[in-house]
Amino acid sequence: MKYQITHLTQYRYQYDIANCYNHGCLVPRSLPYQKVDSARIDVLPLPSSLYTRRDFFGNQHNFFHVNAVHRHLEVKTTSRVEVIPRDVHSAVAGSMPWEEARRALQRATDEQSLQARLLCTGTRMTPVAPVYGDYARALFEPGLPILEGARRLCHRIFSEFSYDPGFTTITTPVDEVLRQKRGVCQDFAQLAISALRSLGLPARYVSGYLETLPPPGQPRLVGADASHAWFSVFAPGEGWVDFDPTNDLMPSERHITIAYGRDYGDVVPLKGLMNGGGHHELIVEVDVMPLEAAGP
Amino acid sequence: MSRSETSLSLAALTEAYRSRHRGMDEWLPRSAEADWSRVLGWLVEQGPEALAGLTSDLQHQLREHGAMFDPQRQQNRTLDLLPWLIDGAEWQQLEAGLVQRRRILSAALEDIYGDQTLLKEGVIPPEVIYRNSHYLLPCHELLPDGGDWLLQLGCDVGRDASGQFVVYGDSTQVPGGLGYVLENRIALNQVVPELDKYFKKRQLAGYFKQLQKTLVPLTPYGSEPLIGLMTQHARDGQYFEHAFLANYLDMALVHGADLMFREGRLWLKTLSGLQPMDALLRYTPDVLSDPLELSASDSGSPGLLQSIRQGTLMCCNPPGASLVDSGAFLPYMARLCERLLGESLIIPTAPTVWCGEAGQLPGVLDRLDGLIIHDLDAPQRVIAVAGLGRKKREALAEALTRDPQRYLARDVLPLSTLPVWQEQMFQPRSVALRTFVLQNNDGDRVLPGGLARCDQDPVQLQQGLGTRFVAKDVWLASDNSRSVSLLHSTLTSVRLSRKTGLLPSRVADHLFWLGRYSERLNLACRAIRASLPLVSTVANEDQLATLTPLVEFACKINDGTFTPTESAEELTTQLSQLFDRNRKDGLLAVLQALIMNAQSVREYFSEDTWYVLERLQNALNQFPAHGSTSRMVRALDEIILLQSAIYGLNNETMSRTQALRFMDIGQHLERAQKTTALLYSVFVTDPHPPASLMEAVLRMADTLMTYRRRYRTELHPMAIVDLLLLDEGTPRSVGYQCLRLKRQVRKLPQRDSTLTGLNAEQRLMVELVAQIQVVDLESLLSEDGQPYYRLGDLLMNIHTMLTRLSDAITVAYFNHTDIPRPIERT
Repeated sequence: MKYQITHLTQYRYQYDIANCYNHGCLVPRSLPYQKVDSARIDVLPLPSSLYTRRDFFGNQHNFFHVNAVHRHLEVKTTSRVEVIPRDVHSAVAGSMPWEEARRALQRATDEQSLQARLLCTGTRMTPVAPVYGDYARALFEPGLPILEGARRLCHRIFSEFSYDPGFTTITTPVDEVLRQKRGVCQDFAQLAISALRSLGLPARYVSGYLETLPPPGQPRLVGADASHAWFSVFAPGEGWVDFDPTNDLMPSERHITIAYGRDYGDVVPLKGLMNGGGHHELIVEVDVMPLEAAGP
Repeated sequence: MSRSETSLSLAALTEAYRSRHRGMDEWLPRSAEADWSRVLGWLVEQGPEALAGLTSDLQHQLREHGAMFDPQRQQNRTLDLLPWLIDGAEWQQLEAGLVQRRRILSAALEDIYGDQTLLKEGVIPPEVIYRNSHYLLPCHELLPDGGDWLLQLGCDVGRDASGQFVVYGDSTQVPGGLGYVLENRIALNQVVPELDKYFKKRQLAGYFKQLQKTLVPLTPYGSEPLIGLMTQHARDGQYFEHAFLANYLDMALVHGADLMFREGRLWLKTLSGLQPMDALLRYTPDVLSDPLELSASDSGSPGLLQSIRQGTLMCCNPPGASLVDSGAFLPYMARLCERLLGESLIIPTAPTVWCGEAGQLPGVLDRLDGLIIHDLDAPQRVIAVAGLGRKKREALAEALTRDPQRYLARDVLPLSTLPVWQEQMFQPRSVALRTFVLQNNDGDRVLPGGLARCDQDPVQLQQGLGTRFVAKDVWLASDNSRSVSLLHSTLTSVRLSRKTGLLPSRVADHLFWLGRYSERLNLACRAIRASLPLVSTVANEDQLATLTPLVEFACKINDGTFTPTESAEELTTQLSQLFDRNRKDGLLAVLQALIMNAQSVREYFSEDTWYVLERLQNALNQFPAHGSTSRMVRALDEIILLQSAIYGLNNETMSRTQALRFMDIGQHLERAQKTTALLYSVFVTDPHPPASLMEAVLRMADTLMTYRRRYRTELHPMAIVDLLLLDEGTPRSVGYQCLRLKRQVRKLPQRDSTLTGLNAEQRLMVELVAQIQVVDLESLLSEDGQPYYRLGDLLMNIHTMLTRLSDAITVAYFNHTDIPRPIERT
């Protein structure tokens, strides 16, 4: 499936800003199942400098500095991405039993396994503790294939938690989310990651977009989409496999990956530091447009 | 008994020492050597009283350098008279080992922040790195090609049970103690220069010269590189060491807020505009160095990491390097040396194990008491088990069992002892040595000396530099050809930099407000002192009403409120409430603001200034607000006296540069504005204030004598207004302040060289001075029994223009001092 994605972030400030530093992780990355045909980032007012680099995981980061006086900052990414269908379901039942996967990883030092080992360790946003392990343990019966366990965890979060955008902020800790059983996509993803890592299993945070389908008979609304987040589990032999606990499904063609990391903090879409400005208003518009006429 | 009071015998002292010491000693086996016996012999010859005197001179010398000052005034270290003479051959071995160690650790960092071959090959278990909170992912591949991850390294050395030197810790993040080494050497040279005759020691200056070359290796001929010593906070205990070192090395002492990223590099914000930074000797914790890419903090600078990536900034050491400090490499040094350098390790490391390694935990739990535990989650936490109570010890054992991967366990070294002169005899004290090694393209250098720390407890010495200790200078025999003289000899006045115009805007801002607050406090105290006796002696209500202006002035001086009243008691209450600790508009709040500003630019003040400030704080805190009038007046006398002491000290110690100018502008601007306000409240509404009030005003402004000398008449409003408003020869008049401000703003650095006319603040002052000079006093104070409305207008106008001056200076010089703050996402 081919998409054109526009992601527009606008800041409107109460007072003038003369100096502003930003760090963005907004440009979709290439993956075996994702081809990035084109991607551009436009900033208004024009930044005095803009640098691009790849991080440890290979995600693209942009650092830019705006030193023109402004009250309105606009960051717009436009990309054309092709997502190649993955056979995500067949691997689930045949994946390695979870205890065995954990053991295998303890000895493996190839590049992929090393990264998986890094992604077994807790972080401030995705802490490792018995309470999270307990949440997943009931689902991970002895000998259960690791991906089947992840699928159950994904389902449990989906059925027990309510999606409540007003409840959490980006700083709401995972334990609060677990107690209140509510949150948004990134909370669910980070809770799942904490749970898996607390069992000693590798999990990573994925930031991206989801193509939303309009209700039957209605036209697609431009700009009504949003950034999305889900998690990924590493199964030896299978590699990384995605799960979306917000929608209780395994991402395939309709999920577009921007970047992945240990937690939200590694792949914050846009963060900044500025002088002045007073209060501000933030407007984010995302549009994921399928390109139907895009060839075979 | 009587014998030891007048003379000492080296033989007797040695014998006494021999009987007291346990274990290895540095001196006893070598006590017959010529160097030791000459140095010790000279000291012993001085006799007990002289030694006590010299010891106290030494501490005084350190205090003079300001090094001992920290906010809590904790004296964590003293300096011993007797240096540690380290054997030349042994030092050579140590030197080679330290040079090798820096190379190993630098290569290890390059690998970990690069290809991670060490993890792939199993040289280091990946979790030691991955679980380490000093391992910073954003620092991956941070350095441009050819960059070195460790420009300077501090290594902690001590003796193991076999008597050889081993390294038990490394420090990259804060090579603390470098300033101490320098201070100790200078103090010792000053107090006992005679020892030079008995021992020719290697000098330290060469190392510090090299440091500059290491930081800026490619300086174009004739250009002067700008190097900053980046410090965390004025409240940081090591702040003064940093200020001292910056001064010695001729580096700019900078905070994150002084720096700005632009066009691919960092710039220092100075009064003369932005200056490109070439290198940073960084004393801020890694994670706090760049608030955009690492953790949010106000001590770092956004763009610091990017500048390193761009190759425009040399950073010593790059953020991420403190992975070394966590101890992560300690267990693997021998292997790393083999693998990375193809050599065998020259100096061993104190035995250390990672508890997460299979089979290690039981052994660790068995010998817990002899261990020091490193927590990879919080590497700054180093726990000596021996010092723990039973409960804490059990909790630690439990934590180790629950999550062994999180901890390293290092053997406590027995350490050797050295004689320390205490209580009129040589006491054996355990000793640990902090050494320093510097990267250099023509061969690394080791500081020929170091910081020796002595204490009774060998375990706490091995926990870190932060604890209490007795310091010793470390001496190595010089072969003369290597002797280099010290760079500078001016060490008492600590300045930001000798490079003129490099005053950071932030510093100027603090000094300006320091001037304003100190004048505000002074005027308030003078007003209270002048009004108190009047308030308590008034005979009737009419008299009381006429005193109100002065009390109102005092109450409103710091944006406070005043409630008109007809009771003398209530007036006194309102005055004494100004000393209430919890009031935001009270005098203690003014003092707090003053101290806060002073602390932020601590390096500009001498030790004596701090002493006086502390006394001032005590005096205000203990103000007898409910005592008799005379007690209160006496207390105010003391407060005002202390304040004049501060003025005097600053004028003496602060170099006459732009720094002093900003403080001066703040002080005189405040005085002009507040005097205007005072004249307004005394003369504008009532054309005939009572003589006692007028006398109080004159006394408050220290001009009563001048007035009497000049006019020899009874008090007359016109004469007083003339003296306090217009007379440019009276140091407390508004006219004098304005003339001085006009002169001072002319001397401020020109920001825009293309500007040919006057800038905003200069224009304001020309206008203001002219306005005051053309005033026709008689027409302002016409005797028609009406209030002096026209005088009121003039005073209001002056007040407004002074506010505009303050704003103009703020916009021109301080405005870019605020720290970028995060844009919050909601």
